[in-house]
Amino acid sequence: MLNLLRKDFIALKSTLWLGIMFLAVFSVAFIPKLSSSIHLVGIYTAFALLNQGTMIDIKNKNHNFLITLPVKRRHIVQAKYITAIVYTLFGVLASFGIHLLVKQSFPALNKPDYSVLDILVPAGIVLLLASIYLPLFYSLSKKGASVINVVFLIILLALAQPTAMLMNMVNENGFNSIQALFLMTSILLLFIASCCLTIYLFSRKDL
Amino acid sequence: MNAIELRNLTKAYPQFTVDHVSLEVKKGFITGLIGPNGVGKSTLIKMMLGMVRPDSGSVKILGLDMPKDELEIKQRIGIVSDDCFYYEHLTVSDSMKMIAPFYKKWNEKKFNRYLEQFELSPKKKVEDLSKGMKVKFSLAIALSHEAELLIMDEPTSGLDPVFRRELLDLLADMMQDENNSIIFSTHITTDLDRVADYIAFINRGKLVFNEAKDEVLDRYAILKGDQQLLDSDVRNKFVGIRETAVGFEGLVDNRQEAEQLFGNYVVFNKPSLEDIMYFTAKGGRIHA
Repeated sequence: MLNLLRKDFIALKSTLWLGIMFLAVFSVAFIPKLSSSIHLVGIYTAFALLNQGTMIDIKNKNHNFLITLPVKRRHIVQAKYITAIVYTLFGVLASFGIHLLVKQSFPALNKPDYSVLDILVPAGIVLLLASIYLPLFYSLSKKGASVINVVFLIILLALAQPTAMLMNMVNENGFNSIQALFLMTSILLLFIASCCLTIYLFSRKDL
Repeated sequence: MNAIELRNLTKAYPQFTVDHVSLEVKKGFITGLIGPNGVGKSTLIKMMLGMVRPDSGSVKILGLDMPKDELEIKQRIGIVSDDCFYYEHLTVSDSMKMIAPFYKKWNEKKFNRYLEQFELSPKKKVEDLSKGMKVKFSLAIALSHEAELLIMDEPTSGLDPVFRRELLDLLADMMQDENNSIIFSTHITTDLDRVADYIAFINRGKLVFNEAKDEVLDRYAILKGDQQLLDSDVRNKFVGIRETAVGFEGLVDNRQEAEQLFGNYVVFNKPSLEDIMYFTAKGGRIHA
């Protein structure tokens, strides 16, 4: 498993700067305009990184390469889900850090107070998106997976405004800790179920 | 002991079917897997490697079951394909760093020696390597983890004759160790004329034969003679026959029987693997 994560890191080594670029671009685009920018910057950065990783895999026929190595298909999928968690943590925590800095440095932007929920909610959304995206990525052909990548990016862009409104509603109405716990547990269970489904689909796929 | 044992391997596609193929690849020898394009050679190899799931049948490699013992099998085999699997944007050195930790018996000294021998720069990106260089790189990877079985899928297609000869010499070197085995899928049969010990011939998804190369070449014969010798019964004796206005040229799979039948009325020639492949693939009568 560690070798697979290491492999992903080596494959992405030359494009790791993209993570910083995504953060910068989304921060500039959302922070001055939207009060819920903390969520959007985290979600967009994390998902764009996941997307970038899978695009490199598609371009290089990565599945065919991995299958020649002494690894099981189950481990290949599990490693990608762990990578998705790493991207999620990077995007969400980096966004949180940037927003704390912005709040201190630019009080005129009138950013709200942030809490743990501002980490958990976007993390949950990214994991939810990944739970839908990864089974499609692993079960579709090379061409289909490329199409799914583009479709997800378009959906993300189209949903920016509605997501911002939803976040505002959540912030206004508040979330009690039981609701938050229930939601996070549900998303984690969905993420695990998605991983099992992807393993099932990918194990039966002809390459 | 066999390096590979396939039993009744079947895979059906809308266009063609690999049909109950049973094949044994002997340990310590080079087996050539021949057949025209699109008859199921690559599908067969993909089923051996676990890339394609067979509809039925079983695969044993080095005495171990696929897919149950997949990890151990893949530690002990090397794969060389004309399809480059590696990350194009990485350098040769980065690719090695990526691949080496997966293998228990990775030998970095050996890998570096192969890079020198193949004149491959570790700093060069995979995308900048020529097709021949990519095959050399695959071979360096395959040979650097002490693979006992080399599975090669069309490794020489599109390569120049100089490199093809160099590759065949390397394979011959590898076979100095009698524990090593090679299965070499190709439609360029002249490569196998040089190095193969056994030939497995696949046509339209079925195994036509799997025999020692010399026995195959002795058993088959190319016959040339006059048209008057042919009638429908005689034509049926041929695997494939090419008829012209003045005579015929045909392949038989039982030279002894043909000698008894035709005696001195026809000319007997030793066929090449290409002749066997051509006449078997075409079958029946070919008019020229």
